[in-house]
Amino acid sequence: MAAMLEFDHVHFGYGRAVILPDLSFTIEKGDMVALIGANGAGKSTVSRLCNGLLLPSKGHVRVTGMDTKKVRTSALARKIGFLFQNPDRQICKNTVYDELAFGLQVQGVSEAEQKERVEKALETFHLDPKWEPFTRSRGERQRIALASVLIHEPELIILDEPTTGLDYRECTEIMEYVTALNREKQTTVLMVSHDMELVQSYAKRVLVLSGGQLLGDGPVRQIMKDEQTLHAAKVMPAQIPALALRFGDTFSDVYTVADMVAALEKERG
Amino acid sequence: MGNILEFVPGDSFLHRLNPITKIVLAFLFCICSLLSNNLLIQVGLLAFLMIIAFAAGIGEKAMGLLRTLLFFCILMIILQLIFMRGGVGYLVLPGGFPLVTSDGLYYAALFTLRIINATLPLLMMFAITQMNDLTNAMVNRLHVPYRYMFILTTAFRFIPILAGEFHDIMDAQKARGVEFDTRNIFKKIGLIVPLCVPLLVSSVKKVDSGAVSAQVRGFSLRTRGAGYKAYPFRLGDLLALLLLAAMIVLLVFFG
Ligand SMILES: Nc1ncnc2c1ncn2[C@@H]1O[C@H](COP(=O)(O)OP(=O)(O)OP(=O)(O)O)[C@@H](O)[C@H]1O
Ligand SMILES: [Mg+2]
Repeated sequence: MAAMLEFDHVHFGYGRAVILPDLSFTIEKGDMVALIGANGAGKSTVSRLCNGLLLPSKGHVRVTGMDTKKVRTSALARKIGFLFQNPDRQICKNTVYDELAFGLQVQGVSEAEQKERVEKALETFHLDPKWEPFTRSRGERQRIALASVLIHEPELIILDEPTTGLDYRECTEIMEYVTALNREKQTTVLMVSHDMELVQSYAKRVLVLSGGQLLGDGPVRQIMKDEQTLHAAKVMPAQIPALALRFGDTFSDVYTVADMVAALEKERG
Repeated sequence: MGNILEFVPGDSFLHRLNPITKIVLAFLFCICSLLSNNLLIQVGLLAFLMIIAFAAGIGEKAMGLLRTLLFFCILMIILQLIFMRGGVGYLVLPGGFPLVTSDGLYYAALFTLRIINATLPLLMMFAITQMNDLTNAMVNRLHVPYRYMFILTTAFRFIPILAGEFHDIMDAQKARGVEFDTRNIFKKIGLIVPLCVPLLVSSVKKVDSGAVSAQVRGFSLRTRGAGYKAYPFRLGDLLALLLLAAMIVLLVFFG
């Protein structure tokens, strides 16, 4: 079976400025991948290549085997849920209810089902159907945009910095929800993030991007302890694994606060 | 389209002219093109403009502008060819009806050149003048109140910003399944209407926050002398103005 998402020697530039010289990776169905890298590393560019908003000048991007050069973005939207870095671009209706229903309407979902799914989403994301999106706070707008993406139950979710501007509780709730989708429905997730704590808690696999090149690609635990790669990509490692590294072998399995506590207690005897 | 008024950096004799001279020159050149009904003179004027453009290092930009203007002239050319029926007929159809006539060709060429010669200098002026210099010179030299010039420059600056914003919003809507990438133009126009909401919201927000930040940085304190650059008139300005004035005089008497 074809991979969920495949970058096959992708070359891309804006005008004459080459952003991605030659990028290849594959993501299998059911994976939860974090794409990390410094500002301007090309993360948003990669995410836009995934659903055909940008097309590679050389090479191919394939989603479940479909070449993005051959399928329109609006058709890919049935498979891919895409959250932009800036939620205001996505929101176009005057109430939260209409906003959530709009995407379903576009994709031809029946009226009754629209109602049912919107109501479920309103509850999950703690949204009031009568809110006017444009007068809400930045974090609330982010939540509205995210809800309108996830309501489609897409096979592949691409989240460009999903939790910026969200408070801690919001952030965990949303990530728990995405994780549940990943676990129960085998939804594939590609998330762009700067927040290493978040990446370490939720991602299974990490891609490290720097200057358009893939510096690292591996299981989250391996990347978190690969200080060289993280440093080269100018990414700040998560605190606990970084601390654990300083203590050598005894702490080699430590990734979270709980791990650390257990290891310290064992040490004290 | 957003880059039609874009500045092309450079340090040529044209770039170094006083911004006010540049505006006046552009207008004088327009007058030149309107003064003459002679095809040859129009061709000469265009050639002159192009030579200046290449000498000032904005040749590529001028060619681009020329292409854009020609595109806008297509409709007019077609109308001229259809309705000017005098002179020798060419491409005669079976019924003895000529598709184009020599008059049609002549007037199509003449009017196209006149339109181009009247607009291209203004567009070229924007290519060699930075908006800021233009406004500052107007404020310093011509004593136009700064806030009016500020409105003008801001309006110009907003064109590419809004175009970019619109593009991004289209992308966002495509990503959620709205078929903007359809080839059916009517369907596309129908889909664009709801987009105006986010575009309007984001532009109003931009204007609002722009106004606030200008105010916070002391916009209202600005006086005429506040710019740090001076805009003196030099010998080159005088020579250029004299040259164009001479051209106008010649055209009035001999054109
Ligand atoms: N529309 C565009 N035109 C030209 N260059 C662009 C455009 N969009 C992005 N770039 C350039 O491409 C590079 C990568 O941009 P990208 O937005 O992918 O970075 P990013 O990794 O998402 O950064 P951030 O963490 O700030 O979101 C940057 O150097 C940027 O200047
Ligand atoms: Mg980005």
